[in-house]
Amino acid sequence: MKDKKKLTLWELYLTKEIGIEFKACLYFFAFLFYYCCYKMFNGIFDASIIHMTELIFTCYIIGYLQVYLLWNFDEADSLGAKEIAGMVICTALHVIVSYVGSWFDKNIGVSIGFAAYILFTYICVFFIYKSKRRIDDKKLNEDLKLFQTQHKKSE
Amino acid sequence: MKIDIQKISEGDEKIILRYRILTPQIKKIIEILEGETSDFGNKADPGVDVKLWGKMDSEVVCVNPRDLLYLESVDDKLFAYTGDSVLKIDGSLNSFMTDMNDESFFRCSKSMVINVNRVKALKSMSSNRIDATMEGGEHIIISRRYASAFRRLLKGER
Repeated sequence: MKDKKKLTLWELYLTKEIGIEFKACLYFFAFLFYYCCYKMFNGIFDASIIHMTELIFTCYIIGYLQVYLLWNFDEADSLGAKEIAGMVICTALHVIVSYVGSWFDKNIGVSIGFAAYILFTYICVFFIYKSKRRIDDKKLNEDLKLFQTQHKKSE
Repeated sequence: MKIDIQKISEGDEKIILRYRILTPQIKKIIEILEGETSDFGNKADPGVDVKLWGKMDSEVVCVNPRDLLYLESVDDKLFAYTGDSVLKIDGSLNSFMTDMNDESFFRCSKSMVINVNRVKALKSMSSNRIDATMEGGEHIIISRRYASAFRRLLKGER
């Protein structure tokens, strides 16, 4: 008999896909902020549609790479060498696309700043997920104690 | 083993069990029969505990399922772990879950069942997995496939 309580492969796949969608949106908005700041500092108050399209596509593709190949580093349990390597690879890819696409008019300094900003964002997201799990730990342990107390009573 | 079943129309109902060696199967039958009598109130202990029979170093031993920390299926063999001993028991994880019908036992992966009442602490992990620390100090990972069902169980929504 099929166990209806456990997740099906389709549900697992869907959960992963939603995770990637979420990541793409999160990083798109974070990087768009940097892009908008750069434009505003240069006295331009319009964002290029092409640049934004490139940015969202890059975020999607790198999201897939991150989840399926690069150990989903921002959601990792701890920040080890491979997670840092994942961050550096994704940062490099973003910077290369930004340079080729002339998001920052091929300005090396701004591109280096963009790399630092991406790394900072990844680290922040890592700590945000970590604190989310810490809160979840508390909830789980409270529920566990409640379950055990109720079961001891009923025994 | 010969099985002789007779239907009678009068006289007392009687079960005679003849055995040379007290095997786990025979013990199970005795346990079922004793359970039956207690249910009918012939024994003064209606709350008689269910026992689990298994082999430990070729010796047949019996444990209270409440003492189990977890069960693991390895190469189609089922092992039950208490804090200090490992028992090889008959059957599969599925049959164990069906027989026990107790929500304290939770299937946490394809090959493992944990006793939720013997979990010391839980830790949320990446990819929606849960690390359960048992009273014996063992860490058992509840895979993400089973994690949401586990959360529902703890909340009493199962």
